[in-house]
Amino acid sequence: MNATRQITTLRTAAVIGSTIIGVGILSFPRYMAATGGSSAPFVAFSGIVISIACFWLLASLCRRFPRESLFVFSRRLIGKPLSFVFAVLILLIFVLLTGLTARQFGDVATTVLFKKTPIEATVFLMLLICQLSSRRDVIKFTYIHFFYLPLIIGPILFITLISMRNMDLLNLQPVLVMPSAAFWRGAVEASFLFQSSFIIVLLVPFMQKPKQAVRAGVLAIAVAGIIYLLIVVAAIGLFGSEETKLLIYPTLESARSAAVGEGFLERLDAIFIVLWVISVFTTLYSTYYLAACLLQQVFAFRDQRISSTLILPFTFVMAAFPANVFETYTWSLALGAASMILLSVYLFLLWSMYLIRRPRKRGAA
Amino acid sequence: MQGWKEKYTSYIKKQQPGPPKAPETEVLGHSLADNLEHLQALLGSNGDFVARDFLLFGKYEAVMIFFSSLVNQEQIQEHILKPLMARPDDHQGVPENLDGIIHYVWKIAVQVTQGNSERKLSCLPPAIVKGNLVLLIDGVPEALLLDMRQIDLRSVDQPQTEQVIRGPREGYVEKLENNLALLRYRLQSTDLRVEISPLGSRTRSRVALCYLDSIADPQLVAEAMRRISIIDTDGIIDAGYIEQFIEDQPLSPFPQVQNTERPDKTVAALLEGRVAILVDGSPFALIIPALFNQFFQTVDDYTERFIMGSLIRIIRLIALASSLFFPALYVSVISFNPELMPTDFAVAISGGRAGVPFPAVLEVLIMEVSMEVLREATIRLPQMIGGALSIVGVLVIGQAAVAAGLASPITVVIVALTTIGSFATPAYNAAIALRMLRFPLILLAGMFGLYGVMIGTILIINHLLFLDSFGVPYMSPFIPGKWRDWKDALVRVPLWWMRRRPSFLHVRDSARLPRAVPDVYEDQILQQGGEAGERYPSDHDAANGRRNR
Repeated sequence: MNATRQITTLRTAAVIGSTIIGVGILSFPRYMAATGGSSAPFVAFSGIVISIACFWLLASLCRRFPRESLFVFSRRLIGKPLSFVFAVLILLIFVLLTGLTARQFGDVATTVLFKKTPIEATVFLMLLICQLSSRRDVIKFTYIHFFYLPLIIGPILFITLISMRNMDLLNLQPVLVMPSAAFWRGAVEASFLFQSSFIIVLLVPFMQKPKQAVRAGVLAIAVAGIIYLLIVVAAIGLFGSEETKLLIYPTLESARSAAVGEGFLERLDAIFIVLWVISVFTTLYSTYYLAACLLQQVFAFRDQRISSTLILPFTFVMAAFPANVFETYTWSLALGAASMILLSVYLFLLWSMYLIRRPRKRGAA
Repeated sequence: MQGWKEKYTSYIKKQQPGPPKAPETEVLGHSLADNLEHLQALLGSNGDFVARDFLLFGKYEAVMIFFSSLVNQEQIQEHILKPLMARPDDHQGVPENLDGIIHYVWKIAVQVTQGNSERKLSCLPPAIVKGNLVLLIDGVPEALLLDMRQIDLRSVDQPQTEQVIRGPREGYVEKLENNLALLRYRLQSTDLRVEISPLGSRTRSRVALCYLDSIADPQLVAEAMRRISIIDTDGIIDAGYIEQFIEDQPLSPFPQVQNTERPDKTVAALLEGRVAILVDGSPFALIIPALFNQFFQTVDDYTERFIMGSLIRIIRLIALASSLFFPALYVSVISFNPELMPTDFAVAISGGRAGVPFPAVLEVLIMEVSMEVLREATIRLPQMIGGALSIVGVLVIGQAAVAAGLASPITVVIVALTTIGSFATPAYNAAIALRMLRFPLILLAGMFGLYGVMIGTILIINHLLFLDSFGVPYMSPFIPGKWRDWKDALVRVPLWWMRRRPSFLHVRDSARLPRAVPDVYEDQILQQGGEAGERYPSDHDAANGRRNR
């Protein structure tokens, strides 16, 4: 009844998976086409490999401290002041990320389906349900992700596979082009989408088997990666790489081209968008929850109830900041790069300190 | 409450020893007049209070005290008064002095099954109020309590709220003894524990907590006792009062305690490892913990064969979902995304809506509210008028509303479907929760379209996922859950396949069927189909054969 270590490996994977699949699925093929041309799926694949490598660095460190969260053991590894600075920086990044993701969602929602709804209302409602749901503990947090994951993966897979029927394989050739600077930039940009797998740091202290943190994360990234790959393949295969570059939301267009039967389900894109709301919610919920937990640890609040309320105005203001869709995307790419650099530095510091200190620990034990 | 506290502490003590409690005093005196006076002071003046004085065996002054409304007076006359007032020469062994008189009366004279002697004065009034007869003898500082309780109640009847096609027809009545008898009749197990104690400082309603000792999780039983023990109120009129005191989240629209009128349902719950609470005077048993899963299951699911049971359960789930979402989806599609409908249908709908002056939200809200009013009125009215009213409501008002241009025909269809859907939900309180939640959903749909419906749905689902009932997550066995618990969730697999009790109840003994049964014969059933008779008389015979071996 009251065991704290309740999160199974499968549920951990579900949390990470549903966190990763989010607002990005609509525009993802465009980035990939812009940087890789017809080899866009390969760019995406490289991005997935990069993010698995990053995740492995993070999670294998975390599982060495199965009883503490990252921010607790980093205090011991790199000292209180430095770890405080990093915690604040990561907090900022996740607040910004939440705001920008909410904004991206609002942009899509108002332009595609909910034309009469003001964007502020759309964004605010979404942030509000994140806030309300962030008041609960980590166990309940995982319940939510576990429940919604099938509702996210199922329709996306279904609609993508259906739209693939009209695919022209010629559009996907040549499969491989010479890797260039743009290619690698695209791969790194693709890996930004997987950054929210950082949520693992919250889960490890509550996992039944913390040793399997890496396995769970890799499984989740692989599944989410396959879905992203399929989306890219479907979009490029349908429209060709040049056309895909021009579409703001290529995935939506490919969903639009999908139809089942004769007029039985004509407008699959509407269903797609409605279910996409869930996947956005789970993503935003994770980043919001992470930000709330970070704020709680930085200011040493008793629980994240106050901190989740405090974050709400900041995320909302952040969501209202960009002037238009393109600014939103530029900013989120910049944010992705910034957090990539920050996390790498942080991880590098932690790992090096860990490796330096480890022998002494062994001797003491 | 005191009784419950004692039960709770004694239960806890069984697990971990603690200090015992000190008893209180105030004993009876020797003088009959004094004792009687004290008693009357404690009980106050009552019209049905009887103090009948007589000469015990023609020798000693004695008084019988009881409430005439609670006892069987014929039996008192026959089995108590008659032997006690007999001439001394009829009784050979009457003691000469008063020392053994109580003993003699109890052992030889009266013919009553239940009773006890009591020296404490403070114990007498509660016993009298309960339906006991008190015999006081002059010069004896002891009273004899004889249970003569008889209250006429309605007989065991078919449950009104939970009808079944196939299954037992008995429902609980108001009297606790009868209800416990119905339970014991179905569950003839020495394991069944029934803890009884009064609750409510003024009503002193007897509350019974039932569980199977070798199955139920001790933590759950202790938690139930703890929550009952901290109830401090003047009256428990019905089981519903207790429900409101012990539920986890009073602000939630969803019921976290199941109530049932059916003893068979209670027994099934007890066998699963749940705890049942019965209250004297209430024909409902409370079952804890209650999960969302339970509110679309009925007895028919289990008494009928499993394929039909599963299909009907799924139908019920669809009805439940449609009672919540249908009107909201309709409003958002009509007013925001008409392109989602097939073109012909959209044309037909807009043709029907041509004369309606209101926006779709308002139209649906008006119709839904009047439907709720109708429903409530039909419940409150006497049965004959109720039937007439529902015909008037459905046929006349719906037809007239369309003719008058208040609502479009399709709206009437939607509202009717919603209402019928909600009536298909077996648990009334869960159906009400979903029916009330559809109003905020309609409003959200009117404001934000499909997005609003989605947000509302996410909120409701998140709330359900956050809820707990006595430490068990409300959405078990879906989230979190083990695969084996899914056997009795959306579908109901064959009984011989459900070999273990639900894991989320943390039962002491999880085996329902013997573990030795080899892996069941799904493969044979699937492969052989109707031809199974060639090799085996039936799959069950095969199973039994293997088990015996």
